[in-house]
Amino acid sequence: MNRLLVCLVLGASAVGIAQKSSRNAPTPADWANLAKLPDFTGVWELSFGAPPARGSTPPAGRGRGGAPAAPTLTPEYAAKKKAFDANPPEDSEAANCLPPGMPGIMGQPYPMEFLLTPGQVTIVIEAYTQVRHIYTEGRSLPEDPDQTFQGTSVGRWEGDALVVDTVGFSPLTQIDRGVPHSDRMRIHERFRLTDADTMSIETTVVDPVVLAVPFTSTRTLKRHRNWTIAEYVCQENNRNSVDAAGKAGVNLARPGSQIKKD
Amino acid sequence: MSRIFRYLIVPALSLCGALLAASVTATAHHSFAPFDLTMEKTISGTVSRFEWTNPHSWIWVDVPNGKGGVDSWAVEGMSPNYLARRGWSKTTLKPGEKVTIVVRPLKSGENGGMFVRATLADGRVLTQTGQPTD
Repeated sequence: MNRLLVCLVLGASAVGIAQKSSRNAPTPADWANLAKLPDFTGVWELSFGAPPARGSTPPAGRGRGGAPAAPTLTPEYAAKKKAFDANPPEDSEAANCLPPGMPGIMGQPYPMEFLLTPGQVTIVIEAYTQVRHIYTEGRSLPEDPDQTFQGTSVGRWEGDALVVDTVGFSPLTQIDRGVPHSDRMRIHERFRLTDADTMSIETTVVDPVVLAVPFTSTRTLKRHRNWTIAEYVCQENNRNSVDAAGKAGVNLARPGSQIKKD
Repeated sequence: MSRIFRYLIVPALSLCGALLAASVTATAHHSFAPFDLTMEKTISGTVSRFEWTNPHSWIWVDVPNGKGGVDSWAVEGMSPNYLARRGWSKTTLKPGEKVTIVVRPLKSGENGGMFVRATLADGRVLTQTGQPTD
């Protein structure tokens, strides 16, 4: 009986391991098929202040050439936001070099590099040196994901659009300033090229606890064909800070890293 | 009407976007809270150090204090990543170089501030804003 149990447990573990490592090595055809996908590969940056394309509706979202958009909150979270705004901290944890996570990491004034490999889209984000892994080989979203800054993402190609769903976010990320998220937040993104060097990302945040209605905004990115992603180690020489009471500080006494090396 | 839209409204919207972008840019890593945005202070002296580092560049300037010595001033600028795409490099400012810098001073009263613009000995003016180049 015991042996049977051991065999069952071992068998189940083997199946578990097999499922984890069952992603097949890409074939030459898999690599060739990438060329049929929209040409996302390269370095992109948010196009701040660019006028909307002729004939298009100006996209919503702050500073993206459209009407300012703010999420519509449930009564409970509208009250929390009001309390936050009445006595806001002077700064966010980003001043202490904590990366914003999703969705804020996609709105930084630094470029992002998109890489397509078989079954995966990888976004290398310069700000805070962050990476998003979007699995496109057909896996499902995890039912009980860990809570991470970028969340866990799966994507699929719908015509010329990459459609991405993301779940499982750290409580340290937020929907907007003063707007936290619940563990039911999901983020839906639609990436597509609107011309050879312009990408549109439509982002919809769904959170039935915090948002009265889904919060949709659209960002426009421009491709910079001659750019590369630069290093950004926020802890290198960070003289900024925010304390637990929300007080922002600047520390001039802290020696810069360029002094330390000699 | 469409002509008005194209020649007046669209540029106006673009300008709004650029202004908003400037605030988005500056708040990416930290807020303006420690700096007095209502004031501009001009300092003149000699560059002692240029920290070409993330998340911000820092220009250290020895400013004559009128008592026979110098005060060390620290000026926070944008990141090297941001500046490199706008014509700056790690040698844009060199130790020993004379410079005049306009800053938004620290509210704390310490000798420091946020970079607005700098004028070099040869008269060139350095800024840190504007659209990136390719």
